Amino acid sequence: MPVNVFFMSLLWLRVAVLLYGVAALAVLPAALYDRPRWRHVAVPATVVALLFHFVSLAEMLNAAHHRLPVDTHETRALLGLLLAAAFLVVYWRYRTVSLGIFVLPICFLLGLIPAFNPGQETMPFPQFHTGWIFLHITLLLAAYAALLLSLLASVLYLIQERNLKSKYSAMNASWLPPLETTDQIALKSLLFGLPCMTAGLLIGSLIAQQTYGPSYFLDTKVLLSFAMWLAYVAMIFIRRHSGLRGRRAIYLSAFVFLVVLTVWSANQFSVVHRFTTP
Amino acid sequence: MSHDLNLVLLGVNHNTAPIEVRERLAIPAGRLADATRTLVHQPGVKEGLILSTCNRVELLTLQENGSSTHADLLRFLQEYFAITPASLTPHLYEYREREAVRHLFRVASSLDSMVVGEPQILGQVKESYTVAREVGAVAGTLDSLVQRAFTVAKKVRSETQIGSNSVSIASVAVDLARKIFGSLDGKTVLLVGAGKMSELAARHLIQQGASNILVANRTIERAEKIAEQFRGQVVPFEALYDQAARADIVISSTGAPQKLFDRSHGQHFLHSRRNRPMFFIDIAVPRDVDPGMNEVEGCFVYDIDDLQQVAAANLADRSREAAAAETIVTREVEKYQQRVQSLDAAPAIRNLQEHAEVIRQGELRRSSGKLAGLTEEQQAAVDALTRSLINKFLHAPMTALREAARDGDAQALQDLETLYTNQSRNKTGQTNR
Repeated sequence: MPVNVFFMSLLWLRVAVLLYGVAALAVLPAALYDRPRWRHVAVPATVVALLFHFVSLAEMLNAAHHRLPVDTHETRALLGLLLAAAFLVVYWRYRTVSLGIFVLPICFLLGLIPAFNPGQETMPFPQFHTGWIFLHITLLLAAYAALLLSLLASVLYLIQERNLKSKYSAMNASWLPPLETTDQIALKSLLFGLPCMTAGLLIGSLIAQQTYGPSYFLDTKVLLSFAMWLAYVAMIFIRRHSGLRGRRAIYLSAFVFLVVLTVWSANQFSVVHRFTTP
Repeated sequence: MSHDLNLVLLGVNHNTAPIEVRERLAIPAGRLADATRTLVHQPGVKEGLILSTCNRVELLTLQENGSSTHADLLRFLQEYFAITPASLTPHLYEYREREAVRHLFRVASSLDSMVVGEPQILGQVKESYTVAREVGAVAGTLDSLVQRAFTVAKKVRSETQIGSNSVSIASVAVDLARKIFGSLDGKTVLLVGAGKMSELAARHLIQQGASNILVANRTIERAEKIAEQFRGQVVPFEALYDQAARADIVISSTGAPQKLFDRSHGQHFLHSRRNRPMFFIDIAVPRDVDPGMNEVEGCFVYDIDDLQQVAAANLADRSREAAAAETIVTREVEKYQQRVQSLDAAPAIRNLQEHAEVIRQGELRRSSGKLAGLTEEQQAAVDALTRSLINKFLHAPMTALREAARDGDAQALQDLETLYTNQSRNKTGQTNR
């Protein structure tokens, strides 16, 4: 990659991280201190940060076709981008910034290290797979982002439920979205995440089939990935058919999230999938 | 040289007059234009506006200098409403100048309302203003004053939480329902038993979008009557437990001596609803809903005491916010007053500037012969130089004039003007001679 493009890409990422930081701070008075005007800082800052982040990523990929978000830090930055996009979608649909209390600091932290300490790893795949691999990574990260968002929404649900049960503090927490809204966010995030995960795993499987052959499918990482998909499907099934909400929904989401983390960390034990990406 | 607006506000409100007096003075919306027109045709009234709500009738007028005001306005009230002075005078209040401004700001900000922070009053002031504008009863001064009152009211709304929390049982119930369900559009409400409070709560919920009303009552005729009133559907009392799970919100107010709904009912309803939340508003005394049901995940039970405590807490919050709002109003009255008073300095400043310009032009003319040899550029430089000197010289007296006007110090204003215009005029006259 040309050096100047690399530096520009890094510069845009730093600007994006700075703006995520601004948005993460601005969302606090907007959500927690009943100062709705601060959302006029938090939301535009996130939008601009997302644009800079996207430009940074596009410049990097455009300048060097083989360079994918393969480094752990770069993967985290991409996850941050997807989470920020999810936050904006939720804001646009439900007009609530409450999730930003958790999501925006996560975006800031996920972007911080790659912005100031970029990785140097390269992808040892042939050129012609680059687009598919990128899609594989992006779709899986989108599924993870959806799961994280769902988990956070479930936490908000639980807090709101506790508030309403305690009665006298019911009207104090005005920053919390209504129960049905958080429930919708939690469920719709999962429903969005499932096709992403399915497509991401399918693309990964096809690439592996072409590159390594059937032996790939006996690898621990790969088996765990399919177990993760099953857990994801089971979670959605349970939530939809028993109307699981509140505390038990959090336990379930947290369990699947743990499975996701296990799958990600299984790269360390995998024989064939020894990358830092999902 | 103090600048009085000749502003007079005369009226009655819920604190000073009983409903019997207020209803005699109330002006229907259709007659407001005529009443306002009649008001500004009273002797001495330059501009006028009438605010008529169920809790107050107020005349805000801008008087001509030296007019008798109170007597004229009182006569207008007596004649227009055909009411005797004896039944009106004891309830009237009158505010003038600064106090009238303050009262208007407080009224628009809902600080003078029966329920402090209620939002309707601002709309009512706006309606009165619109009518007064349409009939040409407000122009410069009153126009800007009322506009200022709107700005202050908006400021109070945005900088305090004065109107954010509900203070009536019915509206608290609606707020809680919104915290559970978000939008109430299409939600089903089950009314168990009959009572004014439960009907009021149901009406509030319908206003917010709840559309399906179910009514269960031991007396079927009564149930039918209520159902007809809300365009709802009757649920036979015997089928209550089978049908209750259909409702998102249950308002219960029967006179039953024992509980109608217990914890196991809650579990059963939630199971049937696949854990979709249910909100129980228990207005009955003795209670209809076992408080233990609140422990069932997805069931939210609020009895009359819970609702009253939330309303009381909200009212206490409003009182705290009202104190902050009063501070804003006081500050804004001060600012408005300063602005009005600073207008006093304007003629003196204009006088001073014109006078200085006359001197400058005179001096330039006197030296025109000596400056004739200068190029156009050099002449422009001399012009700019003299202008700059004059501006620098005038800066201090102009600031002093503005400060004197802001402090309402009429004597200082007069002295400064005399010092800088009359004296210098004399000197200029001598110099010119």
